[in-house]
Amino acid sequence: MPGPREIFVRIDRCMGCHSCELACAVEHSKNKSLYNAISEHPQPKKRIYVERADTQACVPVLCRHCEEAPCMHACICGAISRNKEGVVLTDSGKCIGCWTCVMVCPYGVIGRHLETHKSYRCDRCPDRDIPACVDACPTHALIYHTVEDFSQGVRKDTARQMTAGQGG
Amino acid sequence: MSASKRRYVIIGGGAAGMAATTAIREQDRLGSIVVISEEQDMPYFRPMIPFLISGKKAEADMALAGRGPYQAEGIHIRTGVRVIRVEPEAHQVYVTGGEKVPYDKLLIASGSLPNIPADIKGVEAEGVFALRTLDDARKAALRAKKGGHVIMLGGGMLNLKTAFSLLERGLDVSLVVHSPQVLSQLMEPEDAALIRKALDMAGLKILTGCNAERIISDKDGVTSVALTNGMEIPCRMVFIGKGVLPNVDFLSNGPVHIDHGVVVNQYTATNVPDIHAAGDVAATFDPATGKMIVAGLWTNAVEMGRCAGNNMAGNVTRYGGAFGIQNATQVADVPFVSMGVVHTKGNDFETHTAESYGSYRRLVFSPDGTRLAGAVFVRDISRAGLYRFLIREAMDIGRIKAQIIDHKLHYGHFVCSPLAKGG
Ligand SMILES: Cc1cc2nc3c(=O)[nH]c(=O)nc-3n(C[C@H](O)[C@H](O)[C@H](O)COP(=O)(O)OP(=O)(O)OC[C@H]3O[C@@H](n4cnc5c(N)ncnc54)[C@H](O)[C@@H]3O)c2cc1C
Repeated sequence: MPGPREIFVRIDRCMGCHSCELACAVEHSKNKSLYNAISEHPQPKKRIYVERADTQACVPVLCRHCEEAPCMHACICGAISRNKEGVVLTDSGKCIGCWTCVMVCPYGVIGRHLETHKSYRCDRCPDRDIPACVDACPTHALIYHTVEDFSQGVRKDTARQMTAGQGG
Repeated sequence: MSASKRRYVIIGGGAAGMAATTAIREQDRLGSIVVISEEQDMPYFRPMIPFLISGKKAEADMALAGRGPYQAEGIHIRTGVRVIRVEPEAHQVYVTGGEKVPYDKLLIASGSLPNIPADIKGVEAEGVFALRTLDDARKAALRAKKGGHVIMLGGGMLNLKTAFSLLERGLDVSLVVHSPQVLSQLMEPEDAALIRKALDMAGLKILTGCNAERIISDKDGVTSVALTNGMEIPCRMVFIGKGVLPNVDFLSNGPVHIDHGVVVNQYTATNVPDIHAAGDVAATFDPATGKMIVAGLWTNAVEMGRCAGNNMAGNVTRYGGAFGIQNATQVADVPFVSMGVVHTKGNDFETHTAESYGSYRRLVFSPDGTRLAGAVFVRDISRAGLYRFLIREAMDIGRIKAQIIDHKLHYGHFVCSPLAKGG
């Protein structure tokens, strides 16, 4: 049986257009429209970050929903748990804003909402079939696959590149 | 011993004990797991108890079972039962009432107890608290209803959090601190300046450089505190927040090796076969300093408890050590994080300090400048976890040092620039 789908990043394809960030923030707004999202309070927040590591490379960084999720285990009030699909979720009703999760996340992808005094992170868009960031990415740098499908794709890509390299 | 039905016994239903139960259950679906807990209450999130005093949360909001990662089934929790002694030859623990509970694998997760300095007289008086348990918080909340002035002895995290829960209830609160500044365990006095300012603004009165000598009381409880500087301050409640000590009394005269805390190896095992220890009770090592420590932190207790649970269930797991300092919190609307080596006076660590827009940071590097050893972030604490990771792994930081110093590090740097020097 294939595992649940995850968001994968193909760094070589990211052009740094930030469409994913915008789509993420809009998806996490009340009205889910860009126009309204801008004036909403509390301000809707993106949970994906397109970082520029040097002049060339852009890297979309987002929650990996780690298997041994440090944030979930470190949380001092039980606000972070994993659902059946393997998604690690922060229950903002339970979050006390102590920022312990921010201190232990090795990816630096847990945000602090200053207006609400709660932490937030990628929730893989529970209302959508495909997460908003993936949907918005024009170059398919973000893809939503099972681990099996993704690694198969990578194998095919590599094979293609190798044969291309051989002039075949 | 039939491997299919191992008997696991856990002493203490705190962070370490309960984290161990989930880890055991992930590995062993059939074994019996019994948690013996001296407290009358079912396990709860201990760091939340100040909210009972402020009234921001109810007791039910603090219950641990079924929340966060604590979803394991088939765990038998026996509350209000104290382990009086451990009998390793017979593989059993002797509990209140004279019953003997047999084990195949035992975890000592008895936590810590508040340190009550012997030189403060009159601590038995009614209205004197050392907040540790939900029941302590209940009693404190009840007394706080009567209002009045509160004196907190000690300027650490516990007292600051408790002080705010009392301020939020509208009480007058004064903090008496021996050190020249608050939070002296977690940072240097300069690092705490911004926090101090916010505490002052929030209405917390702070007296530094003095101690309590005597707590004075009458039949209704505490009436005042006499300080070493000659002052006597009237009050109706006193909170002692002078650190914690490992809870090891019930192990004295037994074979389990104790040196301050229960001494464990890298696999959370004690010197006695089939007995592990984890959490505040355990003496472990700090990878940041290499020293033996008793950590006293939820995050460490959970991590170590999980590790112990895995080891007890046969999934051999090495424990990476506990950070003596790894605190994140927010007091008086000022978030801060303090991790690893933060006390650098009189040694040759390389430090970089910066203050801008009401934020403050100090990055501490190894004397040769190649490794991050510690960090203090005040107000802007974003991506603190990346820095913690570097400290913990003692990684050669090579080309990303400038980003670290500027607090501009992000995960993209790990993906794109090889960390090794010159990479
Ligand atoms: C108010 C407060 C706020 C805190 N805030 C933070 C924070 O923000 N961040 C952080 O990292 N840490 C925080 N801590 C510290 C954290 O709660 C502890 O480090 C953590 O609870 C340690 O877990 P433990 O399982 O080792 O021990 P404990 O939680 O102390 O649990 C041990 C349990 O064992 C029981 N026990 C002891 N002896 C026996 C016996 N002989 N028989 C049966 N049962 C026994 C005890 O009654 C207790 O219930 C806070 C603590 C307090 C009190």
